[in-house]
Amino acid sequence: MADTIELIEKVLADMKKVRGVEACAAVSRDGLLISAIMQNKRFAESFAAMSATMLGAAETATTELNKGVPDRVIVESKRGRLITAGAGPKALIVVLVDSNTGLGLVLLELEKSAEKLKELLL
Amino acid sequence: MVKTGVPRLDDLLGGDIPKGKSLVYYIQPGVEGEIFGLQTIYTTLIKSGNGVFIASSTSPAVVREQFREFGWNVEPFKKKLTFVDAYNSLIGVPSEEKYAVLKPDNIENFNEIIIKLLQESPPSTIVFGSLSTIMDLCGEKETIEAVRSWNKIAMLYDHVIVYNFTAWPYSEETLDLIKNELFNAVISVGGIAERVIFGQYFGILKADWTEKIRKSMLFRVFRPGGIKLFIPKIVVTGPFNAGKSTFVHSLSNRAISVDRLGTTIAIDHGHVDYKGFSADIFGTPGQERFDPIIKLISGEAMGIFLVVDSTNPEDFVRAKQMLKITKSYGLPFIILANKQDLPGALKPEEIKKLFNLPDDVQVLPVTASNKTGVYEAFEVLIDKITGGI
Ligand SMILES: Nc1nc2c(ncn2[C@@H]2O[C@H](COP(=O)(O)OP(=O)(O)OP(=O)(O)O)[C@@H](O)[C@H]2O)c(=O)[nH]1
Ligand SMILES: [Mg+2]
Repeated sequence: MADTIELIEKVLADMKKVRGVEACAAVSRDGLLISAIMQNKRFAESFAAMSATMLGAAETATTELNKGVPDRVIVESKRGRLITAGAGPKALIVVLVDSNTGLGLVLLELEKSAEKLKELLL
Repeated sequence: MVKTGVPRLDDLLGGDIPKGKSLVYYIQPGVEGEIFGLQTIYTTLIKSGNGVFIASSTSPAVVREQFREFGWNVEPFKKKLTFVDAYNSLIGVPSEEKYAVLKPDNIENFNEIIIKLLQESPPSTIVFGSLSTIMDLCGEKETIEAVRSWNKIAMLYDHVIVYNFTAWPYSEETLDLIKNELFNAVISVGGIAERVIFGQYFGILKADWTEKIRKSMLFRVFRPGGIKLFIPKIVVTGPFNAGKSTFVHSLSNRAISVDRLGTTIAIDHGHVDYKGFSADIFGTPGQERFDPIIKLISGEAMGIFLVVDSTNPEDFVRAKQMLKITKSYGLPFIILANKQDLPGALKPEEIKKLFNLPDDVQVLPVTASNKTGVYEAFEVLIDKITGGI
């Protein structure tokens, strides 16, 4: 069990290698940072809390409206995209993507990473 | 009086390590444990004691560099800090230190130098940088016998003798002796993986001069800064407009809030670095329409602040309800009677009556807007969380 964190770090490192991904993090559903690969480490904890709140709010909104649990939340801005996706009941994964890479591959890899994270934290 | 310098550990050890005692930091492999001995010797130096460091896994020069990394300037203590160099001769480099073990794979040679040092030095904090390295070089049985005699002599000469020991897979017998018999105190330092919390902890396995307290504490190592107790989540909750966001900002070294039109719609998040503690603070919204978010944010909390506006008792019913939403019962929590600066603010005792909670629930006065009582409240909650005295 002590090595779980290393395995999680590997999942994130692989995710980070995908073209266009600038940062990524594994976060608990309740907003605690599990692990992150990002430049601004000082902000990592707050970033984790924000991501969990965002996904939590989105999930509450859609389920209350009978639209089921969202697959992901994508936030778009001129300078990049922020994507958050659930990774099982305990965690979520969040990636920061630059503004000019197509999202196809990123989303595919994100889904795979989320699945792995879920398994690791079972 | 010798202190470990590790926050909270000194309290748990009854204030300090008495003269003549031995202590081992029993470190799981892979955990940043060797800093414990370093922090203990540095603490001795700044409290104007004498320190001796036995460098067996790296050279004294590297140890000096480590002190620097942690932001600890040992230059002013040159005369009070002695090194025993049990490393350089391993790599064929001549030593510049007063004491050197020329054959670090020979326990007799070790014995000779260490015993001489114990007898010659004024009462000191003697720290072995790595007992496991000595064991690897000299053999388990041999080293254990040597440690037995070092501890005895240290006792006679009023030293405090401290060892970093990494618990590699040695024989059961050796590990048992180290955990149970050889030392007056054993502090275990290990890794923890619990639900979604991954980190490092320490706890007291044994301390024969004080009532032992079996409580583990999460820590993080900072460069600079050294060992700090890590509290991953403290939740600040309470009714609408009570002053939660204001409190999070006044307590934190840095904080951000997602407020719109003057109310929190998502979360406040802050970081507190105070008296050896490193804590992350999560503030919830207050209004009922955000209850799902309040529930979400308060998961895995280690302690809760319930903030109330002391001029607004109509909201106390909602406040009490929020203790349920955040699952505070069973966790350490305290009530903050905020806005004490306003005329007509109820006193903490009055609020306590209105809340009708068990006697041991504490209500503390604060004025978040000018930071009055804010750090006191933090200390009280931290004490409850870490089982302090
Ligand atoms: N006089 C006084 N005013 C305070 C104090 N603390 C907060 N306030 C004021 O109370 C109002 C609400 O403060 P916030 O910190 O936003 O309250 P909150 O609990 O986060 O509110 P919500 O997030 O909307 O539930 C603001 O106008 C603050 O300036 C205090 O100690 N004294
Ligand atoms: Mg607020």
